[in-house]
Amino acid sequence: MSADVALSSEQRIGVLKRLPLPASRRAYAALFALFAVSLCALPSFVSGYVMTLAVEAMIAGVFASGINLLTGYTGLVSLGQAMFLGFGGYGIAIGTALLGWPLWISAPVTLVVVAAIAAPIGAICTRTRGVEFLLITLAFSQMFYGAAIKLRWTNGSDGMTGIPRPDLSLLGVSADNPTVFYYYVLAVAVLSLLMLWRIVTSPFGSVLVGIRENERRMMSMGYSVANYKIGSFALAAVICAVAGILQSQYTYFVNPDAMSWQMSGEGVLMVIIGGANVVLGPFVGATVFVVVKQALSMITEEYNLFFGIFFMLVVALFRGGVLGFISTPIGKRQ
Amino acid sequence: MQPFLIQLLNGVQLSMLVFLLAVGLTLIFGLMNILNLAHGAFFTMGAYFGLVVANDTGSFWLALLIGPLLPFAAGFVLQFFVLHPLAQRGRSTHLDLALLTFGLLFATAGAVEHVFGSAFHSIVTPDLLKGRVGLLGMEYPIYRLFIIAVGIAIGVALVLVIDRTLVGATLRAGVDNREMVTALGININMLFALVFGFGSALAGFAGVVSAPVMSIYSSMGIGIVVTTFVVVVVGGLGNLKGSFYASLIVGMTDTFAQAYLPEAELFAIYILLIAVMIFRPQGLFGAVGRVA
Amino acid sequence: MSALEIRNLRKAFGGLQVISDLDLKVPPGQRHAVIGPNGAGKTTLFNIITGWQPPTSGEILIQGVPVQQGRPDLVTRGGLSRSFQKNMLLESVTVLENLRVACQAFDASRHSVFRSSWSFSDVIRKARRAAEQMHLDTVLDRKVNELSYGQKRQLEVAIALCAEPKILLMDEPAAGTSPDERNSLIELINGLSPELTILLVEHDMDVVFAICDIITVLSYGRVLATGTKDQIQSNPQVIEAYLGRRHA
Repeated sequence: MSADVALSSEQRIGVLKRLPLPASRRAYAALFALFAVSLCALPSFVSGYVMTLAVEAMIAGVFASGINLLTGYTGLVSLGQAMFLGFGGYGIAIGTALLGWPLWISAPVTLVVVAAIAAPIGAICTRTRGVEFLLITLAFSQMFYGAAIKLRWTNGSDGMTGIPRPDLSLLGVSADNPTVFYYYVLAVAVLSLLMLWRIVTSPFGSVLVGIRENERRMMSMGYSVANYKIGSFALAAVICAVAGILQSQYTYFVNPDAMSWQMSGEGVLMVIIGGANVVLGPFVGATVFVVVKQALSMITEEYNLFFGIFFMLVVALFRGGVLGFISTPIGKRQ
Repeated sequence: MQPFLIQLLNGVQLSMLVFLLAVGLTLIFGLMNILNLAHGAFFTMGAYFGLVVANDTGSFWLALLIGPLLPFAAGFVLQFFVLHPLAQRGRSTHLDLALLTFGLLFATAGAVEHVFGSAFHSIVTPDLLKGRVGLLGMEYPIYRLFIIAVGIAIGVALVLVIDRTLVGATLRAGVDNREMVTALGININMLFALVFGFGSALAGFAGVVSAPVMSIYSSMGIGIVVTTFVVVVVGGLGNLKGSFYASLIVGMTDTFAQAYLPEAELFAIYILLIAVMIFRPQGLFGAVGRVA
Repeated sequence: MSALEIRNLRKAFGGLQVISDLDLKVPPGQRHAVIGPNGAGKTTLFNIITGWQPPTSGEILIQGVPVQQGRPDLVTRGGLSRSFQKNMLLESVTVLENLRVACQAFDASRHSVFRSSWSFSDVIRKARRAAEQMHLDTVLDRKVNELSYGQKRQLEVAIALCAEPKILLMDEPAAGTSPDERNSLIELINGLSPELTILLVEHDMDVVFAICDIITVLSYGRVLATGTKDQIQSNPQVIEAYLGRRHA
């Protein structure tokens, strides 16, 4: 047992330097500002093609940020987060196309509904931990994936088209213009990131980190950890749904594939590449992923093959894997 | 719509097929604490290797015999040369190992598609098992009865091996106390790799067995492995007997949903799973988890 | 009213009776030790008192309130806090953060989602005070995994103190420490408020005698004897069952 503890302490060392501590906050803020400024300037320097990739990377980054809250900060590895990506897309599709609501009502209502659905799902899923949590989240997403294919109301496996981008005519521009859409996505991404930043540096966030580090100790301190885990699950779901809204606006449609198992896996992959437990990490991971995916699609038809190999390499070789810093052995016999 | 009895038999047949997968997954998880998400890849591998053998020799029986050898080798190699060394390096939790096998699942599907294309294939039912047999005034395909018999036979054989033989005793001891088995002078890495290979071979075997009734295609393993996960969670992770009963429950639920409630066929088993998780998060047949 | 009262407690794992018909009363302010050979049921007793394991039958009252099983957090909120035999710390954050999170559990700010945790200065002040109490004020900004083993044991107790408990349960606080570390731990524990009720499980008799006035000896899940150091040491049953073998 003591050997286990020593081992996991070593595993954690790499992560220490990346924790948001007060001493390094200024450096983080500076880095963040630099990042934002260079992204603002991007459209004046690069081609439309690069901007398309940047939009995809930012949307993927928001999605991965939601996963990061759950995985990197709370220590829960899910393979079902894509269901919330789908909820976001279907939410505004149903709101705008079926109910005829304007986007500015559909979007916030979607996020509230996602939180309301995610909380009970989280309450069920967080009763388990470790690989069982992985399986149950996967099962939930497969269930909604199956339901979306069957549901005639949302056009079954064809999905729904005609999802509107925001109406920016007040500003004298149209979001159908790629540059304008780029700035819209950038603004939403920055806002999501700031929100995540506030969450992880708050007392609530410190409890999540505590749960990741040692759940039993947190209970013994007097925290009802179940509620915090559900809260983390719901907040992560909302962030993923934001990405889902952006994604469906980007492509003007949504279909059940947004909720596929592979999509969830891609999100986890981005978190691992960027380094779990760092606020900006998922965006770095998402950028790497989008570029690699783009490069792969140019050289080969067999995307699955290389995606799988890439996935294995990342998990095996990157910084101690997805949760190298998790100390609690989840094995059934300790 | 087919009569109730036929549906019942179809349910048992699907259950036994899923059981062949679930039992390997359970053995591996119970012994090594590794959740092998790539289990479906071995199902695919077995089916395609069986297809190649069947096409070359024209013999279903040779395919059934040789088909599982490739997944056996692949499983052995995966555990002995990849998963075990990674775990030894101490930087990978079993969550990492699970995710690694997730990558393998997709890589295999991609590789198979690259070699065989995306067409659907099938292995012809052997002459011996062709045709139908009269059963309470109905006709039922012999081959499906064969699948049921094979599943039950393997289940019984496994229980006998694990409960009554020295190999079984060693495995049970290994689940309880790894150090002790090592102290007995048994090469536990080799034992683990062999069990991993055996579990994978069972999945491959299921792949060949299913080939005459289901199609062979590149992503066939991805669909069935999720059903298998539902089985192992419902049965309680790492619980062999639980996986048998859970296979029956899940197989029946799936079959009857398809027959009588087609709107729900794609998600009925997940509703079952969620209901189980609400009332018994440790699985229907799992022991109550330790807290302190 | 007793700070802690245990009535008719029984615990069986399958056919194995680990605790049988155990009664125990600890009045407020008492320093009470539970000793006994390995397998006497000490850790199981602690786990049952703190709500981690359900008893087979019997009742546990903390300040007159029955323990709700499966909710260790409510036990801590009810005024009983524990330290663990094996270190249970938030390893990759600092000592101060460990204590801050522990103090935060009793502050309304624990539900705050959008304000920085460093803006709640009351909590930080309390955390610093807990650190001083256990002589950890010099290592506040060190990560837990950089601490010495003895310091980790001190932090283990300090975290338990952050709950400002009426009753403190310590599960072998000196386990694995060097003689120096052990002596300073004894000194620190003896320096705690005299109103604090302490229940201690410990193998090291020197630690037990240095801290506690009343000792309960458990053997095979039963109370063999309860009394002062002298009473226990002269009890023939105890000598036979436990002390005799170890202190001969």
